[in-house]
Amino acid sequence: MFDRRLLTYFDWGLVGAILGMTVLGVLTIYSANALATSAFRQTLYLRQLTWVCVGVGILFLACTVSYRNLGRFAYVIFGLSLLSLLVVLVLGKTGLGAQRWIRVGPFTVQPSEFTKIALILFLARYFDDHREELHRPQVMILPAAATLVCAFLVLKQPDLGTALLIVFLAVGVMLLLGLSWRYLVPILVGGGVLTPLLWHFLKDYQRRRILVFFNPDLDPLGASYHIAQSKIAVGSGGAFGKGWMAASQSQLNFLPMNHTDFLFAVLAEQWGFLGTLLVLLVYVYLITRGLQIAMESTDFFATLLAAGVSSMLAIQVFINVAMVLGMLPVVGIPLPLLSYGGSSMVVTMLGLGLLLNIHMRRFMY
Amino acid sequence: MRSRRSPLPPLQALPLRLKRAMFCVAVGCLILLLRLWYLQILEGDRYFTLSANNRLRLRAVEAPRGFILDRHGDILVENRPTFDLYAIPEDITSPAEVAATLAEILRVAPSEVEARLAEGKARPYQPLLLRKDLDASMMVAVEERRLDLPGINLRVRPIRAYPSGGTAANLLGYVSEVNQTQLLREEYRDFRAGEYLGQSGVERRFDAFIRGVDGGEQVEVDARGRALRLVNRTEPRSGANIYLTIDRKIQDAAEAAFAGKKGTVVAMNPTTGEILALVSRPSYDPNLFAQRISGEDWQRIAGDPGHPLQNRAVQAQYPPGSIFKLIVAIAGLESGALTPESKVYCNGAFHLGSVKFDDWKKGGHGTLDLRGAIVNSCNVYFYQAGLKVGIDEIVRVSKAFGLGEPPGLGLGDEAKGHLPNPQPRKRGQPGWSAGNTVVSSIGQGLVVTSPMQLLSMVSAIANGGTLYRPFVVKRVVSLAGDVLEEYEPEAMHQVGVKPETLVFMRQAMMGVVQEGTGSRSKVPGVLIAGKTGTAQVVKKGEEKRQPDLKDHAWFASFAPVDNPRIAVVVLVENGGFGGLVAAPIAKAVYEAAFGIGPRYAQTPSPPAKEPEVLD
Repeated sequence: MFDRRLLTYFDWGLVGAILGMTVLGVLTIYSANALATSAFRQTLYLRQLTWVCVGVGILFLACTVSYRNLGRFAYVIFGLSLLSLLVVLVLGKTGLGAQRWIRVGPFTVQPSEFTKIALILFLARYFDDHREELHRPQVMILPAAATLVCAFLVLKQPDLGTALLIVFLAVGVMLLLGLSWRYLVPILVGGGVLTPLLWHFLKDYQRRRILVFFNPDLDPLGASYHIAQSKIAVGSGGAFGKGWMAASQSQLNFLPMNHTDFLFAVLAEQWGFLGTLLVLLVYVYLITRGLQIAMESTDFFATLLAAGVSSMLAIQVFINVAMVLGMLPVVGIPLPLLSYGGSSMVVTMLGLGLLLNIHMRRFMY
Repeated sequence: MRSRRSPLPPLQALPLRLKRAMFCVAVGCLILLLRLWYLQILEGDRYFTLSANNRLRLRAVEAPRGFILDRHGDILVENRPTFDLYAIPEDITSPAEVAATLAEILRVAPSEVEARLAEGKARPYQPLLLRKDLDASMMVAVEERRLDLPGINLRVRPIRAYPSGGTAANLLGYVSEVNQTQLLREEYRDFRAGEYLGQSGVERRFDAFIRGVDGGEQVEVDARGRALRLVNRTEPRSGANIYLTIDRKIQDAAEAAFAGKKGTVVAMNPTTGEILALVSRPSYDPNLFAQRISGEDWQRIAGDPGHPLQNRAVQAQYPPGSIFKLIVAIAGLESGALTPESKVYCNGAFHLGSVKFDDWKKGGHGTLDLRGAIVNSCNVYFYQAGLKVGIDEIVRVSKAFGLGEPPGLGLGDEAKGHLPNPQPRKRGQPGWSAGNTVVSSIGQGLVVTSPMQLLSMVSAIANGGTLYRPFVVKRVVSLAGDVLEEYEPEAMHQVGVKPETLVFMRQAMMGVVQEGTGSRSKVPGVLIAGKTGTAQVVKKGEEKRQPDLKDHAWFASFAPVDNPRIAVVVLVENGGFGGLVAAPIAKAVYEAAFGIGPRYAQTPSPPAKEPEVLD
């Protein structure tokens, strides 16, 4: 199955950018938590390092077998991911309150992360199967329903950020397929009408975060405190930053979640505008590279897969950074490759591995 | 591999759209960069000043924990205000004088107070805790001498209070400060040192609901950490109230009847699994933990050989003794090895080969049928019945009634009990013998059960064969009155026994109370069905020499027979005869549940067949 000639087409530039980002992530997590009192926090960077190693393993593993084989199991994978979401819901019911994780041996797995990639696979396979009928609007019904079911299950966990991401992701793929604005506008209007309904499903703290975004004075200690402290951290970085390990704002516990969702603020404080510019450019490189790979491939399934993975990255980066900069409500989406977290790391690496995979085999099909 | 596809692309517009997507990415990046430019370059200096020139500090304001109430809303666990004494070292003008005054009030040596104040020198603007939970007289003294005590102040804080001390303590659990080992674990990463959390029982299992959300004060501090002004304050949000299935009246009666004994009483609604009362003794006073527990007290509780922290109803296991005869009888009726008419002559002993197995009654019971054997708890009958039924069938029925598995109350570790696992005799190893079966048939030897398992078992007999999951929390209600969680009865499985078998068992168990070994549980006006048990702890005869190794006394029962509303299991460790010691305790529980008897005579409600207390 594995052909040595494939190595010739291996995109080492992409791999370099990926590795660079993960190393930056570990360093940032280390510096952000070095002064923490909890021993658990102090050793977070070691855990993240482990996840990077696992992630790199998955990156390469995802290239070994042709993506076509993955496509064959797309529906099964999607079904399993729906099942695992249901399992979380059931376990969450008995496990008190919000539960997004399933315990598998010593690890906790967050199935909503894996749903993203399963949905991309599903959409790519489905549209590939129906590529002769794409002009018929009915074709869009099943994918739309599947997306909403996923989003609903994730929302129930409750994980508003990932649920939104799933919807945006599917809309992105459909737009690429030429879903005309004529259809999209009614959908958006329908969505607008359904928003109050959605509101009903949100947990109290999620509602509060959204309200606070529009009126920060509502909660000076909670969400608006996060946003305010995050903006101070980012702004105080200035043009060139305060340097590694010297970022008082994010180190001294003023910034909550500094290793996960607000990691970008730590980066911004340490490296300033120069650093954030570079990080964003690397992301733009990764995403546009993914879109290029999508364009180069002659296989429709591969094109959709690559475009889907790129959209996932793009949406995640944009929402996370915009949230840190106080442009969007705090919804809890990790920054790919940089934020602490095993599930997020594995899923991102899986997606990027698929890009490499498609790129390597672009002349085979 | 999937079949090869014909070459693409049918969708000419796709590359164009992908190009547009790239354009979108560029625009998105530009938006973020503009914002970053604004924050970091244009506003950078302002934010830098904000971050460098000291800023806002957050100070937590502890949220009061939710109450725990019984099924009718009687408060079992609440909070009371407590006053902590703090010093701000910087504001103390003459440390020696203040120390002397304080020492007098706190009744300690002045040097001790001075030493503590000196510890605060390093951070003179940080409040320094001097003493937690001042008693009333000290508080008054501090208030009176306020002028002599500059820099000393009192802070109020809610603290957990268990008004009735050890009542149901093993069920309710206790709260204490998060400990060092917990702080190292991932699940406690958001806890601050010194924060309180539930450590056992309902307090622990439902901690997420009970704890509420801490509020905070946003304080602007100057460069040296001194609070300049209160910028903002968010009130803490109290935790949710937990409504238990416990009925306070029944609980109190059980506690009173059990005074001075060791063991457990559990009562449950056999048709739903709602726990109505749970007593476990010896117990402890959870109030001790709510304040910082002294090392001495902790040593006393943790080192107590009676294990007061153990919830004996679910965490302890004992040989079931004669209660297990119920299982043997059911197994016999189901397999056909026994019929209600099967008769045995009991002369007081049973010989298996050369081994003699005694009955508890010298001289024997005479000729008995199955009902008579249950009513009189005849060992000789069941020795032979066990052999006829066979150990495999006995084990199968035991499992069907939930023995050998945790009963599923869900408040932490639960004892599984133990059932025989008969292995054929192998060379060099003692295998399962007929003698083992004989011993198991009266609930000794390798049969071990927890009181909760037996409660589920008799409940299944009472309700016609359904094993319900026992549960103790009915509702979780937020402070605003919203029902956050509501727990419904959960039928775990059917025991799969013929209805007529269970009808026979109920009749026989009624006979136990009406005319047999359980007659001391009789309550006028209520038909109770039960079974006594006396589980041997040491070899026969040995207990006479060591009175603390007397037999365990059991009584498992339910009432009323034809419309069961409550099932009660009593276990008195080293209590002696079940009928003598355990049955009267069950009687007190039934009197409370049905409002009958001298203690409840003033209640106008007639000896009801459908007591309202048990809805």
